[in-house]
Amino acid sequence: MPEGLGVYICSGCGIGEAVDTQALANSARSKAVSVQLHPYLCGPEGRKLIENDLAATNGGPKVNRVVIAACSPRFKTDVFRYPGVVVERVNLREHVAWAQKAGDEDTLAMARDYLAIGIVKAQKALVPAPQKAEISKKILVVGGGLAGLTAALEAARAGYEVLLVEKEAQLGGFLAKTRKRLTFQPPYEQLADGGLGDKIQQVLYHPRIKVLVAARIRRISGQPGQFDVEVETPEGRVSDRIGAIVLATGWKPYDASKLGHLGYGSSPDVITNVQLEQMAANGGVRRPSNNQPPRDVVFIQCAGSRDPQHLPYCSSVCCLVTLKQIQYVREASPEARVYVIYKDMRAPAQYERLYRRLQDHPLNFFAKGEVTGVEPNGNGKLRVRVENSLLGPTAVIEADLVVLATGMVPNSADGPAIRALRDAMIAAEKAESEAQRFEAIRRVEELRHHEGTEILNLDYRQGPDLPVLRHGFPDSHFICFPYETRRTAIYAAGTVRAPMEGVRAEEDAAGAAMKAIQAVEMAVRGEAVHPRSGDISVPEFALQRCTQCKRCTEECPFGALNEDEKGTPLYQMFRCRRCGICMGACPERIINFPDYSVDMIASAIKAIEVPDSFQEDKFRLLVFMCENDAYPALDIVGYQRMAYSPFVRVIPVRCLGSVNMVWVREAMNCGIDGVLMVGCKYGENYQCHYATGSELANTRLANMREALQRMQIEPERLRLVQLSIDEYHKLPQVLNEFAEYVAQLGMNPMREFL
Amino acid sequence: MAELVVRPDERFIQEVLANGGADLKKCYQCATCSTVCALSEEDRTFPRRQMLLAQWGLKDLVLSDPALWLCHSCGDCTEQCPRGARPGDVLGALRQQAIQYFAWPKFVARWVNNARAVWTLFLLPVLLFAGLGLWGPETVSEQMEFANEYPVPVLEALFFSVSGLAVLAFAVGLGRFVKALRVQGATAPILPNLVPAIGEIFAHRRFQKCQAEPFRYPGHLLAFWGFLGLGFVGTVIGIGTMGGWLHTPLPLSHPLKVLANLSAAVALVGASILLANRLRNQQLRQRTTYFDWLLVWLLAGAVLTGLLSELLRLAQLKVMYGVYFIHLVLVFALLAYAPYSKLAHAVYRTVALAATRRGTRGGP
Repeated sequence: MPEGLGVYICSGCGIGEAVDTQALANSARSKAVSVQLHPYLCGPEGRKLIENDLAATNGGPKVNRVVIAACSPRFKTDVFRYPGVVVERVNLREHVAWAQKAGDEDTLAMARDYLAIGIVKAQKALVPAPQKAEISKKILVVGGGLAGLTAALEAARAGYEVLLVEKEAQLGGFLAKTRKRLTFQPPYEQLADGGLGDKIQQVLYHPRIKVLVAARIRRISGQPGQFDVEVETPEGRVSDRIGAIVLATGWKPYDASKLGHLGYGSSPDVITNVQLEQMAANGGVRRPSNNQPPRDVVFIQCAGSRDPQHLPYCSSVCCLVTLKQIQYVREASPEARVYVIYKDMRAPAQYERLYRRLQDHPLNFFAKGEVTGVEPNGNGKLRVRVENSLLGPTAVIEADLVVLATGMVPNSADGPAIRALRDAMIAAEKAESEAQRFEAIRRVEELRHHEGTEILNLDYRQGPDLPVLRHGFPDSHFICFPYETRRTAIYAAGTVRAPMEGVRAEEDAAGAAMKAIQAVEMAVRGEAVHPRSGDISVPEFALQRCTQCKRCTEECPFGALNEDEKGTPLYQMFRCRRCGICMGACPERIINFPDYSVDMIASAIKAIEVPDSFQEDKFRLLVFMCENDAYPALDIVGYQRMAYSPFVRVIPVRCLGSVNMVWVREAMNCGIDGVLMVGCKYGENYQCHYATGSELANTRLANMREALQRMQIEPERLRLVQLSIDEYHKLPQVLNEFAEYVAQLGMNPMREFL
Repeated sequence: MAELVVRPDERFIQEVLANGGADLKKCYQCATCSTVCALSEEDRTFPRRQMLLAQWGLKDLVLSDPALWLCHSCGDCTEQCPRGARPGDVLGALRQQAIQYFAWPKFVARWVNNARAVWTLFLLPVLLFAGLGLWGPETVSEQMEFANEYPVPVLEALFFSVSGLAVLAFAVGLGRFVKALRVQGATAPILPNLVPAIGEIFAHRRFQKCQAEPFRYPGHLLAFWGFLGLGFVGTVIGIGTMGGWLHTPLPLSHPLKVLANLSAAVALVGASILLANRLRNQQLRQRTTYFDWLLVWLLAGAVLTGLLSELLRLAQLKVMYGVYFIHLVLVFALLAYAPYSKLAHAVYRTVALAATRRGTRGGP
């Protein structure tokens, strides 16, 4: 009898009516020192039962591991909180009583299996010890534009030291050089004066902000809370220890030389909105060809934007910038005719009022259309050809100034690509055969454009900068978690994260600064940041058995693992999100958490009672469910009393990526008839909370199917389903379909050998 | 198709803004108007395209667009427009511009539609009829008759000549209009199509489709038929008296007199509904400009004074001459200024409907 295990079964909320809790209790008696039943376990009386056992005040044996078989672990978390004690929750309410036929023998079998799984998990778990270290709370802000300045001020005002690094000689970034700025003040139709003078002064004179201009980051090593940063400035090298980073490196204009089809380069009078801004800030709008105020000005919106050949996305600010710049034109030339040819005018939120005001001017002309040509007409003007507009099949505007409203490209660096370039360069040098050398050189040429683009120079095995996602933006989780990147405690803010105008960039900067503060404060407590916020468990690496296969160091989505020269992983706990993807990756099973391990889940699988081969119509299906979306979705299914197959046995996992394939093999060996994995969507619009977990699981599962085939077991017994939480209503069907499919295959042949 | 070289006409934009289309520039091309308009067809660019052309000051293009005349000012679009651009009002303003644009001679059109010159419009008929009454030939009969002051041969000759001038002005205007329509691609033969077009107008079929404004249909229908009846009776009696086979005043039981009185009553009811509607709906669906008021008041005034003179004559009160004088002035204005006032819409619309039957209504 294992010492110290207490099992507490609640019969409230319909559990008692659905299953024979007495029988359930009897099934647990042999494994626990105390088994208690209560009709209302979360009430004071029920809790007293547990607390008495924990304190051993009733003269019985002392309990130090608790299994609570009641509602979903997602509920009553504050009620059943016992620090320093292993607590395992068995979900009898949502997953059994509310979803299965009351009083049925299959329902009881399900409850018994869940309890057995819970007991094994409790037996195998250890209470994680808090890990403490000396943490720097200083925030590094990279970039001194509006977002960077704001992030620095927000962090400093919240009481944190800030190091602000700017590559230019002056602070202010792009907006410091503008004539006017958009504002978000009532009545939302006026512009503010350009420049960021006020903000720059506040930053320069803030006692907690240290500013380095004309500076480059040469190296950032270490991990959150303990980053060592080296900055090169004209005055020499500066080293500092910092805790978290806000990346606010801003944007650069889309390369207009690629816009020849819109006349760029054909005449000095075809310019970009950035050039117009500079012109306006330095005196006023003039035709470059003759330095006269223009009479007919055409703004071409989406110049190279929302165009698969150029920038496929909307930069969201060009329309507003045009509305602003029309006013520059009018200042220089009050009688000018201003034409705006757009795909869609986008003036979000209150900026609509600005749009309205500019529309009102009789000489401002807006039309939806497509510009199909801009060319000099021979007498000093430009012919702008507009098609697909309601003006007529082809309309021609004779302009003397054409402004291309170009979009924003993030000032980011692609860390993994830079790493790949470096690897290819080494491979080209060390190649053993001509073919290898040729391939390596080809790869180098392909990646050459990443050379010298480094910004952060992170000392991370997976590359010196943040991984970028679509279109070069480093934002990792645009759906649920703004500012997040794939590097813990490094947050992106402003236009490097997504195209945006100044007001939103300021909001963004404040948000990212708050996230950075949160990251350092959680590091102080040794806790993980989201999605496992507050988790203090860290994986342990039994390195004496490591074969240096590098799977963990390559597959960690957060680059938490560096390597030594041999390829042995060097774990950095403050970079880690505790998802367990390394645990799922490790073929040697040497990576384990104290409260979540390969052995624990393998043993839990063995605890499932598989019917013998004479009960051919009873199947057992193991379902690994991602605890972030799929598991709560199944709770909702129960809450809505939607029924599904009673042969299902669900084991929640931190991420599908943490599923070690040994578990699948174990399930097959135990006679389980099918294994289903339900996790987050992957691919371009992934929803995986750990970015790549469900996709990795899918790859590993494909390999596992091949292995099954060699064992003469049908590979179709393994399936992975992507599900987002709002698709909970599909879940019963997913489970039932799989159950029917497995029923058609018949029982696992391994059951014969049980 | 030839390409359009965009040359915005700023004066035209200002004219539209000042004369009923003040909200023109608010349109942001969402196409709500095209979606709600019962008359907009499948390609659904009406009235959205006309709004755009007007915003851009493309005067020639928009004013010769036959689609302008499809609109019956029901106000559905104005009510639904999310931007308050009031497309219904703008189209009304554009029709006014079109009438002035095609009118001949143009200075008359400008004069007639100048609100500040409204009193000078009546100067000519006032002088004319005052002179005729005071110094013209007079006859005496047992009973008081209008012919005593205004002899029939003089009066009819006068009105036929005024009408003749109006017809001439219309002819020139229509010639220009048809030419412009042809350039725009409205190529349907006009003469054979006049019959179905007029049939449609007689039945007011398009008016029936209005949703936002249920009273416009009966109002306009009654006014239309009333004035058509009055016009018919007036012409027949004019010809009859000139030919000598009719003698005014006709007895009350005379079929023509019955028709005249009936038409006047119908017209009065219709005009009252339209007037009441305009007064009630100023902001919501239909804003009324000088251009609108001029026609409505002229019509209502002419019918009212006509009926009143008849009653006063039957009562043999001397004041009947004064009222009849006003009546003559108003009828004169109505006829003489018809090619330049809103009344011209009857002519342009009919031709536009004929020219665009079976297809090509939207221009290029």
